Amino acid sequence: MPKLPFTGRARRDIAFCVLTLPLILPGPVVGFAVTIGLAQAVGPPWVAGGNPSWLAMLTAVAVAVLTAALMVATGAARALAAATRRAAGRLLGEHLPPPPPRHARLGDGPGWRAMAYLMLKLPVGLAECYAVGIFWVAGLVNLTYPFWWLSFRNHSPGAQLNPVPVITPFNWSGTGGHFRVTTFPGTFAAFGAGVGMLLAAPWVTRAVVAADRWLVRGLLGPGRTALRLQDLEQTRALAVDDAAARLRRLERDLHDGAQIRLATLAMNLGMARKKLGDEGTVPDLAAARELVGAAHGNAKDALVELRELARGIHPPVLDNGLTDALASLAATSAIPAELAVTVPVRPTPAIETIAYFCAAELLANAAKHSQATTIKILITERAGLLALRITDDGRGGADPSRGSGLSGLAQRVAVVDGRLDIASPPGGPTRITVELPLRAGGR
Amino acid sequence: MRIAIAEDAALFRAGLVRLLEDDGHQVCAEVADGEALLAAVASQRPDVVVADIRMPPTFTDEGLRAALELRRTHPGTAVLVLSQYIETRYATQLLHGSPAGVGYLLKDRVADVAEFTDAVGRVAAGGTALDREVVSQLFAASRHAGDLDPLTPRERDVLALMAEGRSNAGVASALVLTLGTVEKHVASIFGKLGLPACQTHNRRVLAVLRYLGP
Repeated sequence: MPKLPFTGRARRDIAFCVLTLPLILPGPVVGFAVTIGLAQAVGPPWVAGGNPSWLAMLTAVAVAVLTAALMVATGAARALAAATRRAAGRLLGEHLPPPPPRHARLGDGPGWRAMAYLMLKLPVGLAECYAVGIFWVAGLVNLTYPFWWLSFRNHSPGAQLNPVPVITPFNWSGTGGHFRVTTFPGTFAAFGAGVGMLLAAPWVTRAVVAADRWLVRGLLGPGRTALRLQDLEQTRALAVDDAAARLRRLERDLHDGAQIRLATLAMNLGMARKKLGDEGTVPDLAAARELVGAAHGNAKDALVELRELARGIHPPVLDNGLTDALASLAATSAIPAELAVTVPVRPTPAIETIAYFCAAELLANAAKHSQATTIKILITERAGLLALRITDDGRGGADPSRGSGLSGLAQRVAVVDGRLDIASPPGGPTRITVELPLRAGGR
Repeated sequence: MRIAIAEDAALFRAGLVRLLEDDGHQVCAEVADGEALLAAVASQRPDVVVADIRMPPTFTDEGLRAALELRRTHPGTAVLVLSQYIETRYATQLLHGSPAGVGYLLKDRVADVAEFTDAVGRVAAGGTALDREVVSQLFAASRHAGDLDPLTPRERDVLALMAEGRSNAGVASALVLTLGTVEKHVASIFGKLGLPACQTHNRRVLAVLRYLGP
């Protein structure tokens, strides 16, 4: 539905076109034009048959290339790009992170991309001029025709007046066309044309600005490689932190669990041994029995703790495949869980492990927070991606920002270029999807 | 003896209390962190403190820090520090100044009840109890490692036991030797290493540790 022309967005589009207007004449084009101009002024051998000679053309191209190289090497291209990026961010809402800092003068990829933008800005900028100059300015001027006709052309009847040309998008020079106004009623046709142009103006502007925005996004951002690099650096840092944290947790668990139990066991046995005496009759049999009993208990507790710890590091059933592991996970879930697996290709062990621990954590989360009565675990494989979907009929409202372990999961999944998608409206149901590649590092 | 125990694992703490009470001592305070230990020592004035190194709230070295603080504020109270790991740096910090009335043992040593209660008694009497793990690490890292070469294997054993803080009698019983043989070994060791022969026990330990120290 068409909106009134003067919305905030239209104003910002116009402002962007006007502010970036100076960019339509980039250095290389100016260099080219100036060289040709000088050649024309000097004459032969720079001019041949009234036109610039081949020599002049080649020199002009060389000057243009040199100018471009100079703009990249001095950082001028980057500076202009930064200004454009700022304008795009402020006016178009196109917030782009700046490219990584410059490492080489001439081998500066982002600098050359900025230069490419400046060159492409010429046609796009001209289109922006057309949109702003014809549709907006001429459209507004057309609206005024009846008024100034009345003010300045109020001659006595019969006076012969020159026809007044009307600028339209199809006759933008206003000279050659047939749309001319010769009478006062005719001015209303111009008025109508103005209204039409102004109604179309926001859309035309938006279209050309969209083209510009596309260029800005493609050429003035950090670039796909840099973004990927940034992403990899981030996930690598997370992976390293995560690994260190896991080792620390493991040490803590051993220290506070099995190690303490074994130390106590050894102490109890030591005391029991003392009670039993070195030889002959036992001085304190009852105490010795009790201490051996306690030591026996310590040993069993230590075994349980070690088994649980080992399972937490790597569940042995995972070696049989994700299906078996998830089946045993579902069987022990606090909330009844239904499992459906259709994965024809077995993912790599690392991916299986991540998927398993995601499922375990999500089930534990559901048991803790969701108040659900049933859980569905669905695993499918599509286009090289393993999708793990866990749906519960609980009360919803799962929010990764509230530190329910979901953000940690998202980080762990991101390390292998996976994705975590949470749909959990208040009132439920909660549907969490984890997408993982079938093999880590396969991209 | 009146003993204060600081250990955050309740199970192990209960075992320690029982062990020490069985040995005829009185446990006058059982606490689970460093702050509480300092308070308990101030109010109960125990003869010996047995403290775990790693306790709440940071689970790093609060037991050690409390022990160092006690060494400064209550020089008369002996401190025996227990840990599941041996860090030579901790030992150096504890022994800094004087090895009198200080001990640092692995928790595992509690299993040998007689040896453990002996260590507690030694520390309480102003002696030293250093875990053999610490001593072997000191041996391995000693800048004088080459100088130990002239020692016979037996003399090395004696040196290690001396470094643990044992008296000649203690060394003799540990190695099943007569006191006279041990005395001869000790004299030989001091001669070979060029250490001045010291009369008092603590000065001897100190000399050995200084010699071994990094």
